[in-house]
Amino acid sequence: MKSTTFDYRPGFADSDADDPLSGETIEVNMGPQHPATHGVLRLGMDLDGETMVRVDADVGYLHRGKEKTAESLGWAKFFPHTDRLDYVQPLINNIGYAMALEKLAGIEIPPRAEVVRVLLMEISRIAAHLIYLGTSSIDLGAVTMFFNTFKERENIYSILDAYTGHRMNNTYVRIGGLYADVDEKVEGMMREFLTQFPARVDEFEGLLTGNRIWYDRNRDVGVISPEEAMAWSLTGPILRGSGVEWDLRKNEPYCGYETYDFEIPVGTVGDCYDRYLVRVEEMRQSCKIALQALNRLKDTPGDVLAEDRRYILPPRTKVMSSMEELIAQFKIVTDLCLPKGEAYAGVESSKGELGFFAISDGTADPARLHIRAPGLMNVQAIPLIAEGRLLSDIVAIIGSLDFVMGEVDR
Amino acid sequence: MAIVKRKELSIGEKLYLPAIFRGLSMTFRQMFKKRVTRQYPEEPLPVNEVTRGQPRLAVNDDGTIRCVSCGLCEAACPAYAITIDGQETDRFIEREPERFDIDMLRCILCGFCEEACPKDAILMSDELELADFSREALIYDVERLKRPVSQLRPRLDYVYKVNERW
Repeated sequence: MKSTTFDYRPGFADSDADDPLSGETIEVNMGPQHPATHGVLRLGMDLDGETMVRVDADVGYLHRGKEKTAESLGWAKFFPHTDRLDYVQPLINNIGYAMALEKLAGIEIPPRAEVVRVLLMEISRIAAHLIYLGTSSIDLGAVTMFFNTFKERENIYSILDAYTGHRMNNTYVRIGGLYADVDEKVEGMMREFLTQFPARVDEFEGLLTGNRIWYDRNRDVGVISPEEAMAWSLTGPILRGSGVEWDLRKNEPYCGYETYDFEIPVGTVGDCYDRYLVRVEEMRQSCKIALQALNRLKDTPGDVLAEDRRYILPPRTKVMSSMEELIAQFKIVTDLCLPKGEAYAGVESSKGELGFFAISDGTADPARLHIRAPGLMNVQAIPLIAEGRLLSDIVAIIGSLDFVMGEVDR
Repeated sequence: MAIVKRKELSIGEKLYLPAIFRGLSMTFRQMFKKRVTRQYPEEPLPVNEVTRGQPRLAVNDDGTIRCVSCGLCEAACPAYAITIDGQETDRFIEREPERFDIDMLRCILCGFCEEACPKDAILMSDELELADFSREALIYDVERLKRPVSQLRPRLDYVYKVNERW
């Protein structure tokens, strides 16, 4: 059977001259409390029959003023807030923010911290993509997938729990490195998870890729051409699904990503199905990178926190015994002043380029902190690809764009 | 660059029936696997020294509180959950808190207070559960925050262990 693409232009699909209701539109609101909108997104739609003539994505229902909060909260105290941007991958957010501050302060992080950061970022990416796989498939009726991906994600959260003490909102990254090193127990848990994980991905793919319903509802739905994707500044799996090879890990490497062996999966058509395939392949590649990082751990001894007495808390034993360190502790906790200037750091999060642009006027608070949330750009693409399609396609489109409203509205 | 493979459906897959059986077989196999659901209230969560639960104030073996009300935890708290008023005392440490309140509804368990404390006085315990009938009851005062240091010892040792550097 040939996959069919109809031209669902307004008034075209149902252009029945005898139908007195043809061309008459009805306004429908989807969300902000709709389970398929993945958070508090409101879609204002004009429907002509089942065709969406107009789609407006209305964001802002989860706006908490994070950027403004930062201006009165101080540099270090903003870390827990970054957790709550894209709450399915808190460690990537932490690392992105820390990288911006390190650039601003001119701190070099130790090699071991880089390796552990790569490990944590890739584990978080897998967790975020598992959420995509679970939620977008349950929206299209595949309940088995949802439970299986969430069960697998639970393993990741157990690892993070054993490492950071929290399952979500870890707050374990500091300026200049990480709070604690990965110990043998956590290392063992990670190795066990990463070795069995590729088989699980195959299992998930076996359930979905050849599934008729998944295939029909995703194939040729929500096509974004490479030019459009770039014009709308889409990043991440959506841009790569459209066939543009752009990944910050390869194009602007950070944390030593250039030394790891991995590939960037790209799609050809740019529909929901391609984005799904790209994400599944990305999970395999992430697993590969994480295993490489895990193997590097024993070859890179040392601390996970840079030695810099201006910005980083002194070791605890010295705080208890020496006056100098005690004074440093007080100064850094109460008034962590970063040098005057501005810095931008972008990381490849599971959704795209997550950037932090920090401007410092030399005081303890940021003069301005801008967060480039990939989810916001991705939401902007909804009208572009949904208008003219059938109403049932919107669920597949929202699922495949995979945004988290905490980050979109921030 | 690796271009992802878009496969066309085979005749068997188009029939949809094999997919149904595949899904069902996965469900069926789960019956013989280990159950992953935790019966939470009856089966408590595993806690250890890494767990960052609610912050508690360490009390020495002689019953005196370690806190000297320097206010560093208050300054480090990103959620503004801690309120301290200090007072003088005849003890050797010279200062102690007259009032030490942690609003547990505001606390986000980030552990910054523990990291900031220069006296090992505030530590993240393994206590996680939090429920009451009013908001006021969840603002914990010194008496409710006090824990003997022996109870917090594993966490204290862990904090020293991970902060061993330079």
